[in-house]
Amino acid sequence: MHRLYLIPTLLINVVIIFIPAALTIALAFCRWDGIGMPVFIGLANFRQLLADRVFWMALGNNVIWTAIFLTVPIAMGLLAATMMLIARRGSSFFQVVYFLPMVIATAITARVWQGMIYSPLTGIAGLVTRAGFPVPNPLTQPSTALYGIAIVDLWHWWGFLCVIFFAALRQVPQEQIEAARIEGASFWQMLRYVLLPGIRPTITLMMIMTIIWSFLVFDFVYILTQGGPAFSSEVLSTLAYRSAFYDLAVGKAAAVAVVISLFGLATTAVYIRLQAKEFDQ
Amino acid sequence: MDRRTFLAGSLGVSLVPLMNKLAFAAGKPVSWWYESAAPAQQEAIAKVLVGGFNASHPDYSLSIDYRGSELDKQMRVALLSGNGPDVVYTAGPSYVAPMARAGQLLALDGYAEKLGWNKRILPVFLEMGKYDGKLYAVPKTYETLGLFYNKAVLEKNGWKAPTTIAELEGLADEALKAKLVPFASGNAGWRGNNEHYVTIVFNSIAGPENVYKALKGEIPWTAEPFVTAINKLNDWWQKGYFGPDYFSLETEQFFAQMAAGKSPMLPSGTWHFQYIQSYFKDKADQCGFVGFPSAEGLGGSVYALGVGSTLSIAAASQNPDGAAAAIDYVFSPEFYSAMNSVWQGEWNAPLEDLSAVKISNEVPALYAETMKTLADAVGDNKYGYTSWTFLPPATDTQLINGIEEVWLGRSTVADYLAQIDATFQQEKADGKVPAVPSR
Repeated sequence: MHRLYLIPTLLINVVIIFIPAALTIALAFCRWDGIGMPVFIGLANFRQLLADRVFWMALGNNVIWTAIFLTVPIAMGLLAATMMLIARRGSSFFQVVYFLPMVIATAITARVWQGMIYSPLTGIAGLVTRAGFPVPNPLTQPSTALYGIAIVDLWHWWGFLCVIFFAALRQVPQEQIEAARIEGASFWQMLRYVLLPGIRPTITLMMIMTIIWSFLVFDFVYILTQGGPAFSSEVLSTLAYRSAFYDLAVGKAAAVAVVISLFGLATTAVYIRLQAKEFDQ
Repeated sequence: MDRRTFLAGSLGVSLVPLMNKLAFAAGKPVSWWYESAAPAQQEAIAKVLVGGFNASHPDYSLSIDYRGSELDKQMRVALLSGNGPDVVYTAGPSYVAPMARAGQLLALDGYAEKLGWNKRILPVFLEMGKYDGKLYAVPKTYETLGLFYNKAVLEKNGWKAPTTIAELEGLADEALKAKLVPFASGNAGWRGNNEHYVTIVFNSIAGPENVYKALKGEIPWTAEPFVTAINKLNDWWQKGYFGPDYFSLETEQFFAQMAAGKSPMLPSGTWHFQYIQSYFKDKADQCGFVGFPSAEGLGGSVYALGVGSTLSIAAASQNPDGAAAAIDYVFSPEFYSAMNSVWQGEWNAPLEDLSAVKISNEVPALYAETMKTLADAVGDNKYGYTSWTFLPPATDTQLINGIEEVWLGRSTVADYLAQIDATFQQEKADGKVPAVPSR
């Protein structure tokens, strides 16, 4: 009888996850304009992707994005969370300040940075330029566009990690911290030998989620540059979106979506293995 | 609450959804999904379109539902599931053929005959809305590309509006020397702005005959006239005609730049007429517009023809006659006059005869003159082709995105055109090229 309680969640999973996922996989093997009837074409969409230099550029950008988000915000979050743990005064205030960008809608954050910070006409960059110190808009240069977007997302994201790490750090046994202090451990020794090992499962989970989210990144890229200029900030999700809704090549878009999912799937498999190992220990 | 009160209350609540239908029992509903519109534009639609139509057609009740910039995606999903509005608004002719092929649109030939569209609408536009010999769409508006200019800036520097490519380049070079940005332009809000410049050089340098041949598959897009055209566009970019902030400026920002005298010229489309009063304010007569100068041998300015939106009737419509009446209303001189008096550039229906049209005196006379020039050019078969109207979707995307690679030195002109040609040939083989009226 109690198994009946599983039905609502199973139903939701089937309707909003399994069926769309199965349809996406099926469409990856079809040519479809999103209007008429799909035509089965085997692996042609994947072959087309392999020969498409924009696909490789987008994949490369996703890898760069993942590398940035696996290091910079995690390091910043860990450092700030540790400092808040050690110097408790004002920690509640800083938690709110750090977390604030996270509660602002991404579209608003992106438009604020685009118009009020980066713009040469209405932004701080423009003000500084007019004052005699030329500051180019990073979103307009192929060599800096992706990093310009990443800065906006970092501003929005790192505070969330900081609050998560701070919550985890507070679960580290106080006795271990006190013992380390009595033994004369420095800040870095405390971090290296007490705090980081104490929150390793949280860090692992956040890193796994960062990899998955990095391959799904869309909103900031689309609002700030739409993948430009000259495809320099194109990522897999913007490529899929453009293929589906501008080129009317839904099959190709589905193939890109399958590639994105493969990265997520591989990362999830690694996480499950790591979890299993921890349970065994 | 006793049981009787509960039942009475429940009955009352259950009748609420019917109130809407009862309230409009006098007119059969006609639904129309529209893209995004600013508050002033929504007011114009409510007053001129909805108010005007419902007052003159008491048998119908037109309602407009604003769906924002995602309209075409929502429309596709709705039509696929057999739902959607009665009046189908598409983003251009390239979207019509796949919808017609999928049986989602009603053939309009009967209405065109009965309501006189065949006589009132310029024939070229009826040809563009055809698929497999039947009419499925008519343009809501049509537009062309040309050159806006700031008369005050030109007068102050002793320049005159260019009529040839050589004059245009001379003026642009002088503007650079005067520390002005020759072309007010940008694509921060809409990357599609790139294609306006590609369309301009394809028509004004390669020439409309060559574009026509390429669209019909008679010559490739890699042919020499197109190489010359893109080389010229690239030269203009490299010389700095588009300014240092092209990727940072949004449409209204660069229009304001021209109005403020920081740029003498603005090469773009007739939809910009709607900004003149906002940015030139009481000096609206300081804004000039001419056909874009063309290369030698092309016989003067070429007016590239553009249709950015079309109107059709859904095959699943519950009220096709009402939808046809609403479309018919858009093609009336009364509606044209009233709507273009308050909102220029977006409701320029392709009427064959504009003699009955009366635009408000507050609208710059230049607008009416330009629309008449365009209508005459189309009537005389002297028009060019805009990429967003005549190219299939993926080719158009390649044209928009690829030109940035040329400008930024990440691709060559030859590679750019080769990619356009390869995508076009594939889409042509798939039957995705929109109808091209014969010249």
